[in-house]
Amino acid sequence: MWDQMLLGIQTAFTLQNMFFAALGCFIGTIIGMLPGLGPMSVVAIMIPVSIQIGDPSTTLILLAGVYYGAIFGGSTSSILINAPGEAAVVATSFDGYPMARKGQAGKALTIAAISSFSGGTIGAILLMGFAPVLASFAILFWSAEYFALMLVGLSAVAAFAGKGKVLKALMMTLLGLMLSTVGESSLFNAPRFTLGLLDLQSGIHFVTLAMGLFAVPEAFFLALDVLRGQKGGSKEARDISNLRINLKEAKTIAPVIGRQSIQGFLIGVMPGAGATIASFLGYAVERNLANPEERKEFGQGSIKGLAAPETANNAASTGSFVPLLTLGIPGSGTTAILLGAFIALNLQPGPLLMQDRPEVFWSVIFSMYFGNIILLILNLPLVPYIARLLAIPRTYLIPFVLFFAMAGAYIGQNNATELLLLIGFGVFAIIMRFADYPLPPLLIGFVLGQIFEDNFGRAIRNANGIQFLWERPMTLALVLATLAFVMIPLYRDWRSRRKASSLG
Amino acid sequence: MREEESSRFLLPFRVNMLSINRWVALGLLAFSSGYGYLAFTYRILPFERFLAMKPNTLPIGLAVAGMVCSIALLLVPEEQSSGSGEENKVLGSDHKYLESPENYEWGKGAGLLILAVIYALSLRQAGFLISTSVFLIFGGLMLGERKFWILVPVSCFASFLVWYLVDEVLTIFMRPWPMIIYQ
Repeated sequence: MWDQMLLGIQTAFTLQNMFFAALGCFIGTIIGMLPGLGPMSVVAIMIPVSIQIGDPSTTLILLAGVYYGAIFGGSTSSILINAPGEAAVVATSFDGYPMARKGQAGKALTIAAISSFSGGTIGAILLMGFAPVLASFAILFWSAEYFALMLVGLSAVAAFAGKGKVLKALMMTLLGLMLSTVGESSLFNAPRFTLGLLDLQSGIHFVTLAMGLFAVPEAFFLALDVLRGQKGGSKEARDISNLRINLKEAKTIAPVIGRQSIQGFLIGVMPGAGATIASFLGYAVERNLANPEERKEFGQGSIKGLAAPETANNAASTGSFVPLLTLGIPGSGTTAILLGAFIALNLQPGPLLMQDRPEVFWSVIFSMYFGNIILLILNLPLVPYIARLLAIPRTYLIPFVLFFAMAGAYIGQNNATELLLLIGFGVFAIIMRFADYPLPPLLIGFVLGQIFEDNFGRAIRNANGIQFLWERPMTLALVLATLAFVMIPLYRDWRSRRKASSLG
Repeated sequence: MREEESSRFLLPFRVNMLSINRWVALGLLAFSSGYGYLAFTYRILPFERFLAMKPNTLPIGLAVAGMVCSIALLLVPEEQSSGSGEENKVLGSDHKYLESPENYEWGKGAGLLILAVIYALSLRQAGFLISTSVFLIFGGLMLGERKFWILVPVSCFASFLVWYLVDEVLTIFMRPWPMIIYQ
């Protein structure tokens, strides 16, 4: 394994890969800062472009850099103008923005940068420990276990969707799986469910789906409220002068960073949980642990309240790479998009990736150290300059968000039908958001669909039936875990509804 | 006064959570049923008939699961719909737009989507540079931008820059000019 790690270090620290890691972080920070394009959209837009690089390690290093750069960038707009670009950085604004309004914007950005750096770096260390252990265990899996493992992953995504949303998340996952069966498949000879349309013969392109589901609704919702978005942030909050923190403040946030790095990472590893839950939970835990004096400051500009979500969301983003790299199962919308990139590069993430392509596996992990340093450098001295982007009027920004979303689907395909599909998915996503349906499960179901069916098909053929579900002990255990993941939250929902109706 | 009038005008369009949830669940049920119908009637090739896993095996399972799930969504009481975790409380739901529609500019949102459709349809005929510039200019105008002397050059320059980066630097072909020039 040491040889493989050494190969990974050699690959990650070539001049070319370091350049692309830095470029990814830079692009991610800038675009992540702008409202409307969260990490998912940014990574999806970058895929067609980055694939042109050719080298899989470089492409994935670039995309990983974009991912954590976008999370990092989102925190800047949360702190300076109280406009979080996406859910994972909402908790950052609770104390970040009050600090900025007190004229401590520079200090808040420094704390956010240090917390993100520490969360990301500790997360990368934990990833190095976790990933090989899980991969060496998963190598024992056959198609049957893989199929069952995907069932667990897909049901866990629904289970962690939040109270009251389990059924909706489950429905979205099923919808994603249904959409994945459209077009040609590696198992069968004829394309399916194309409705006679030639454009659907090769299936739905996942960048089209991702852009339609996430970027189009963002542009639409921003357009509904153009003026309000533009007024965000006070004048004091935008004044970034003193970036220094003192020793006492550093000592105060150190234990928070330590705790939240581990907690955030572990939450990130769980499928479906992700950076949003990690940041909110991190904030809540630190508020409960704080002494009464400190607790009063939460929400008023507490440095602990800022460090906790910032550390946790970065550690969780790193943690979400564990199931992706070792099992080939994405736990979040962004890692689902990264899985799409792996597939486009003819790589199959999973336990065999570490054996077959150690340079890719390890170089992505090692590039995270470099990427985190780059982000620290970017966010500290350059942030006063980068933050000027926040002044771009929404009247320019919104058409550009929509344009970039459409360009992401158009580039490389030159197919206008793809764009009509994208807008169709966008309208669908807007309706679903009105009805409070979570959309990442749909994308995860869609990206996993093909692999899910392949493994199911192989397992059925090997066993000549579905008896593998109960005859193989590991498969049976995973199937039972799936049932638990689905039934327990559904039962809880049902019980709370019954309690509510009996009270009412 | 004008605000009051507009809110009175929008009153019939207020949609409550219950109705939208039911309509969406009904739509999902219709989709699952349609998908199930296509899966059931899928024409299996002669040599596929004896396979343990046929092309429609998984789709049929998915359709049945989808129908069960959407019926459950249709039948569950209202409390099911809103999340109650800490993050849900803070993030809120996009349903807020429907609760007070008079506070939002629906015309701009819908107009932007229509413009996107026109852009998609015009790309083939007008080429990337012209259609993208026009899309960005009209998008800005629709959202209230009136500084033409900034909007027009910014949109044209951005279109050219993206085309140059994609076509010339990354060598991914993108036709810049209208089809008619090439005929």
